[in-house]
Amino acid sequence: MKNISFLFFLAFLIGNGQNKQVLYDFAGLPQTLLVNPGAEVNNEFYFGLPLFSQIAVQGGFTGFSAYDIFADDGTNINLKIQKVVEGFGKSEFVEVNEQIEGLSGGLRLNEKNYLSFGYYQEFNFLTKIPRDVIDLIYEGNSEINRPYSVRNLSSRAEMLGVFHLGISRKINNKWQAGARAKLYSSALNISSKHTKGSLATIDGTNNIYEQQLNNIKFLFQSSGVLINDTDDLSPSYFAKKMLLGGNLGFGIDLGFTHQFKQQWTVSGSAIDLGFVYNTKNVESYSLEGNFKVEGFDLNFDEGNPSDYWNNLKDRFNEEVVLDTINSNYISTRPLKLYGAVNYQFGKKLDDCRFEIRPGLYSNKVGFQLFSTVGSVHSYLAATLFFERWFNKYFQAKVTYTVDPYSFSNLGAGFSTQLGPINLYLMADNLLYLNNIYAVKSANILLGVNFIFYDKY
Amino acid sequence: MKSLKFIITLIIILYFQSCAKPVDFDQIDDAEIEANYILSQVYFNLKALDILDEYNNEIEFKIKPIQVSINNATQKYLDKIVFTVVTENSFDRAFNIEIVLLNEALKPIYTISPIINILPNSNETVVTIEIPNSEIDVIFNAGFFSFIVQLLPSNDGSVISINNTSELFFKSYVKLFFNYKTE
Repeated sequence: MKNISFLFFLAFLIGNGQNKQVLYDFAGLPQTLLVNPGAEVNNEFYFGLPLFSQIAVQGGFTGFSAYDIFADDGTNINLKIQKVVEGFGKSEFVEVNEQIEGLSGGLRLNEKNYLSFGYYQEFNFLTKIPRDVIDLIYEGNSEINRPYSVRNLSSRAEMLGVFHLGISRKINNKWQAGARAKLYSSALNISSKHTKGSLATIDGTNNIYEQQLNNIKFLFQSSGVLINDTDDLSPSYFAKKMLLGGNLGFGIDLGFTHQFKQQWTVSGSAIDLGFVYNTKNVESYSLEGNFKVEGFDLNFDEGNPSDYWNNLKDRFNEEVVLDTINSNYISTRPLKLYGAVNYQFGKKLDDCRFEIRPGLYSNKVGFQLFSTVGSVHSYLAATLFFERWFNKYFQAKVTYTVDPYSFSNLGAGFSTQLGPINLYLMADNLLYLNNIYAVKSANILLGVNFIFYDKY
Repeated sequence: MKSLKFIITLIIILYFQSCAKPVDFDQIDDAEIEANYILSQVYFNLKALDILDEYNNEIEFKIKPIQVSINNATQKYLDKIVFTVVTENSFDRAFNIEIVLLNEALKPIYTISPIINILPNSNETVVTIEIPNSEIDVIFNAGFFSFIVQLLPSNDGSVISINNTSELFFKSYVKLFFNYKTE
């Protein structure tokens, strides 16, 4: 039981979406190129500590927190469960993302162009749960004439390796643009989408009640792993699949930075404009139809007995058609969009303290927008941020984000540079540090790089 | 430099402040979810022709056993089963309806009680039959159920003729009361 409780807690703790609001355009870190290939970086070359240059864990559940259920406050747990069910929105979602950079590097090609490349492994999972499904589980179907909609009941999970190569080009003093090509090697792709329809119990004509499945539509697609054959799965299986042995795909990232006034900059990016072509271990199912039943209409004709149960099953199979589809399919990556505008101010940087660091000012304040767009779920987050360059060794950024998880997500990050060694750490939902169980989402990102500037 | 000190101080304060308000994950042992599910059951409309044999003699009859398919996975959470039966009888004769559960070998293993008694010339009547928790196991052992419809004799010895236009309506549903608990 304690194990279940712990897993339950972890599900809440590993939380927040794919938004890397603290990392975006922060401190000239090489990893900012992964969220905006058109970001400005000023190093001559860098390489990340293999497997440790970026470890990112994000996720969350918009519905409720572990504290909402398990608070030791003398209230009966069943009353607390009832309260969170009552507060459940029209639909909520649970999301977990994990990203580990295996290799990462970059070098300045010339005055205008910076090349970066690497490989990272990524896992993400998202399930969207409509309120009606929760009501069906929590209360049952005994509310007569209420359609319980399954629309928006959808899920996706993917595990893949990403090889990437990008270039950031300084077009002129005001414009910087970049692009990154990505080769995806997918070990696992599962999605259920296009779910529609409803279940209902209504007043019947011949019997007391009639039970209905109305316009049910459901598509389940999977590749990489055969759902009914998981005996041979092992870490090495997934590793092989993520190193070009899996289903392959292609994508690009695009981004820009534009300094439209001396102290004002606008930037934006589109990450993972891409797809995976799923051809290996593909299993897909579609379900579609309508079904109505009032029960068994008893037949008193001894000479013509009915096989009620099998007749019902046969009619169900005819009217709600389950198709097995073995054809290849294309899955699109969840697209991430960033946009930001910032204003730099404060003490102008001098050559002594900042030497080759970018910009002329020590402070940066701004506004960022993030959106993820996918076939399963899309959402928007807005962030206010303040970034300060204390000196060439230490930079920090504080963010305040409004997203589907919280209206008060305070994040912070710092980056230090000791010689060529760069260490950075970022986290959010810091307002919940006084009670980590109350957090609906969390986002931790850290890494170690070796960055070399001109004057080292 | 002052700002740097301020940030470092803030981080230290946050670090030492970071803690958790008391939680008790063992509460999960007390968690219960009570959900009720309705399933439509049998219905029929009985006419004079159904009650008479080829010689127009009144008969007692059984419905051919109806196969049931119950998923055992939910058995441990099933707390109570309540059948609701609605009848309407325009015959001037009473009926008894007996629902018998049979095993896979078609041997009777349980009779749902009480037997449903339908009075003569009765308007819509609602009868609820609760299967107590202690007897739910039997339901899950059933492979079939059967309906026995018995036409009770009239007080004056009269019989139903084939031209009788009376009808007996029988409608039903079952409500399953689940109580999900952690183990």
